[in-house]
Amino acid sequence: MNGIVDARTVSKWYGEVLGLNAFAASFGPGITGLVGPNGAGKSTLFKLLIGQLRIDQGELRLLGENPWNNARLKRRIGYCPESNELYGWLTGEEFVESLLRLDGIRASAARTAARGALETVGLTDAKDRRLRTFSRGMRQRAKLAQALAHEPEVLILDEPLSGADPLARINILETIAKFARDGGHAIVSTHVLYEVERLTQNVVLIHNGKAIASGDIHAIRGLIDAHPHAVRLMTSTPRDVAQALAGLDHVVSIEFPAAEAVLIRTRQPDVFYRELPGIVVDHRLDVHGLESPDDSLDAVFRYLVG
Amino acid sequence: MSISLPRFTRRETPLLGRSHRVRAIVFAGLRRELRRPAAIFAIGVGTLITTVSSIFFVLFAPFLLQGQPLDLTFFYLPASNTAILFFVTLMAAIVGSGLVADDLRTMALTLYLSRPITQADYLTAKAAILGPLVAMIAILPLAITPIVAGLLGLFAWTIALHAVGLYLVIGVVLTAFYSSIALFLSSLTSRKAYAAAGIFAVTFGLTIPAQLLASAINQPALLYLSPWEDFLAIARGAFGVGGGPIDWAPALIILLGETVFASLATYVRMRALEVITG
Repeated sequence: MNGIVDARTVSKWYGEVLGLNAFAASFGPGITGLVGPNGAGKSTLFKLLIGQLRIDQGELRLLGENPWNNARLKRRIGYCPESNELYGWLTGEEFVESLLRLDGIRASAARTAARGALETVGLTDAKDRRLRTFSRGMRQRAKLAQALAHEPEVLILDEPLSGADPLARINILETIAKFARDGGHAIVSTHVLYEVERLTQNVVLIHNGKAIASGDIHAIRGLIDAHPHAVRLMTSTPRDVAQALAGLDHVVSIEFPAAEAVLIRTRQPDVFYRELPGIVVDHRLDVHGLESPDDSLDAVFRYLVG
Repeated sequence: MSISLPRFTRRETPLLGRSHRVRAIVFAGLRRELRRPAAIFAIGVGTLITTVSSIFFVLFAPFLLQGQPLDLTFFYLPASNTAILFFVTLMAAIVGSGLVADDLRTMALTLYLSRPITQADYLTAKAAILGPLVAMIAILPLAITPIVAGLLGLFAWTIALHAVGLYLVIGVVLTAFYSSIALFLSSLTSRKAYAAAGIFAVTFGLTIPAQLLASAINQPALLYLSPWEDFLAIARGAFGVGGGPIDWAPALIILLGETVFASLATYVRMRALEVITG
């Protein structure tokens, strides 16, 4: 056991529901993608890693220490939860600063660090705005800022790209990559494999609370390419977005599941994600959110677990 | 020959202790409450009305208690002011109901606990936010009243200062009870309206039926069910007023017991709650 995270047959039950089922994996240093569908056990693993849940069975180590009830270790971790419901009455700067104070950082130092972290994620201009006025992408970046601000050794990011617009995604990915280049470690959960592909080659696939595969991303990608990948775009002009994307060779189908949404299925998600920002800018499209329903990943998981 | 690789080292910043971290939650919470119109209303109107009505009792004491000596027993009258009951309940409902429930709804609790603080730190901080605000109704007006009485020369300073001390003690009991009950109810739900309704139910849902039933079937022991009647019994005991329907000692034990039970239950609940939301 010598990774940043070492898990030996870790199990966690919520009453009769199994959150993690003999999860065994060792990962890090650098960036690791934790990929699995919703309900796979990603958030449970993260809550175990930040010491908010106690394991029922097995052994878990983060940076060589048991996370449970370990305040010293919490100071070395930056955690970004999945939830986007933040204290709307706080400004971006107050939000980051008040959480830094909980790390035992003096008020003046906390304010300086908060401003630095907000600058890192590109929110300097919005630092005095209340969080309730932030878009989802801005909220994701504010959460990332509070996770980064105390200069942790390990970032634990639960679906950091969920719902973020294309430009916010680029900023978030670049921030995580820079953190790793500077020597930090990051564990990034997602239910979209292609989101972590730009960050790392190291992934752990989690399904039904078990680590079912880990290692190089390319081998896993090969499996996924056999299944069309779904991307849901939130837009006020769905017809314009559909027209702009319809000509792409790899787009298999376009649906309109809601008044302000377009569902695209593509055979080449990596190409799609690469081309999308350019198309949005060139056609001046209003795309304010992007999600990936994980049915394509589910197909791979069904294949892997037989 | 050996080579050494560059090694990432984290910048070590001087970190403050646990009490500072708890204080950081308290200040953030108070800052929030003092911006909310509902909380400002409860604090302002509650403090004003309870203070003015208590001073009214002092000014008109010779008329209210004609023929009776103006000694320590007089100060039971301001303590039994029902405005205190109403505004303490209102304050606990407006401020206390959301203290934990809002954090559960927004999942801010997860963010809090990802920092180096424990559930006990968190609850201590939340109690420290609510306690002073409830005390502004339960203690402040009562403590001011004997001082005004002393300044006006209506009571001897020895009696007035004795009354201040007793008000502080019984006020702390009432503050602790309502703070612990409010936090307990707030920890049970992510909807603060439910917790607020529960606080009113604990106060008036127990007091009014207990009073009606106790007189209907002539069983004054039923009044122990009412936190307000318990408080009045404690106040009677403190100020040496005889002839109440229930005794102060069992009332004190019941009120303190409920406070301790609610605090422990809240702590246990918070520990378990993380598992449920995980």
